[in-house]
Amino acid sequence: MIDPLTASLRVAAAGLEAQSTRMRVVSENLANAQSTGNTPGADPYQRKTITFSSELDRASETSLVKVDRIGRDKAPFKVEYDPDHPAADDSGFVKLPNVNMLIEMADMREANRSYEADLQIVRHSRQMISMTIDLLRNS
Amino acid sequence: MGAAVQPIYLFDLAFQRAEWLSVRQTTVAENVANANTPNFRARDVEPFEATLDKTALKMASTNPGHISLASAPVRAEVSGPRSFDITSHGNDVSLEKELIKAGEVSRDYSLNVSIVKSFHRMWMASVKG
Repeated sequence: MIDPLTASLRVAAAGLEAQSTRMRVVSENLANAQSTGNTPGADPYQRKTITFSSELDRASETSLVKVDRIGRDKAPFKVEYDPDHPAADDSGFVKLPNVNMLIEMADMREANRSYEADLQIVRHSRQMISMTIDLLRNS
Repeated sequence: MGAAVQPIYLFDLAFQRAEWLSVRQTTVAENVANANTPNFRARDVEPFEATLDKTALKMASTNPGHISLASAPVRAEVSGPRSFDITSHGNDVSLEKELIKAGEVSRDYSLNVSIVKSFHRMWMASVKG
C-alpha cells in the first residue's frame, strides 16, 4: 500500500501526461489543417482524434488515466475547386483536410483547463506533504 | 498481551483524520485526472464521522498472532446520484466541484496539523515542566 498523498501525485501526473498528449494531437491537427495530397485525387490529412480510458494501478489501488487510442476522424473531406492544384482530380476538385478550427480550439481550451486542474491537485498534495514534514521540523 | 503502549487519544484521532484526508485527496486527484474519460463516474470517500463510528467498534487483538485491522484504508465509495451534469459520453466529473473539494481537504489538513503541533507543544510543556 503506497502512501495516499504520493498516490495522488502519481494520479495527477498521469492526468498531466494524458492532457499533454491531447494537446499534441490538437497541434498536429492544426498544423496539418491545409495539408493536401500531392498526386491527382489523393486523400488529404485526416483529422486525428484521441480517447482516454481509466486504468487501475495495482500498486496504489487508484484509477489512473491513460490514452486509450489515437484514431482518425471519418468525417467527409472539404472539397474546393482548384484545377491547377497538384492534388486536383479529373474534374478539378481538391480534397482538403476535415479539420475544423473551431472544434480544435475548443478541444485545446478544454485540455488546457484539465491540465490546470491537474496542476492544482499537484500543488495541493505537495503542500499537504510539506505541512506534515514541517511538523517534524518545528517541534 | 499485544502492544503495551496505548496511542494517545488526540494524536490517534489526528492520525486517523490525516489518513482520511489523504485518501480523500487521492480520490479527488483520480476524479480530476479522469475528467475527460468516457463512462467515468466521480467518486468520493464516505464521511469521516462514518468511518470514526466504524473504528470505534474495532475488534480487539487478544493474541499476538492476530492480524491488525487498524491499518485498513478507508475505501473509496461511489458517490451515487448526487452528481449533476452528466455529459454525452457518460462522465459526471465537475472540475469546479473537485477543486472546491481539494481546497477543503487542504484547509482541513492544515487545521489538523496545527492541532497536532499545539497539542505536542502543550504535552512537551507538561513533560519538561
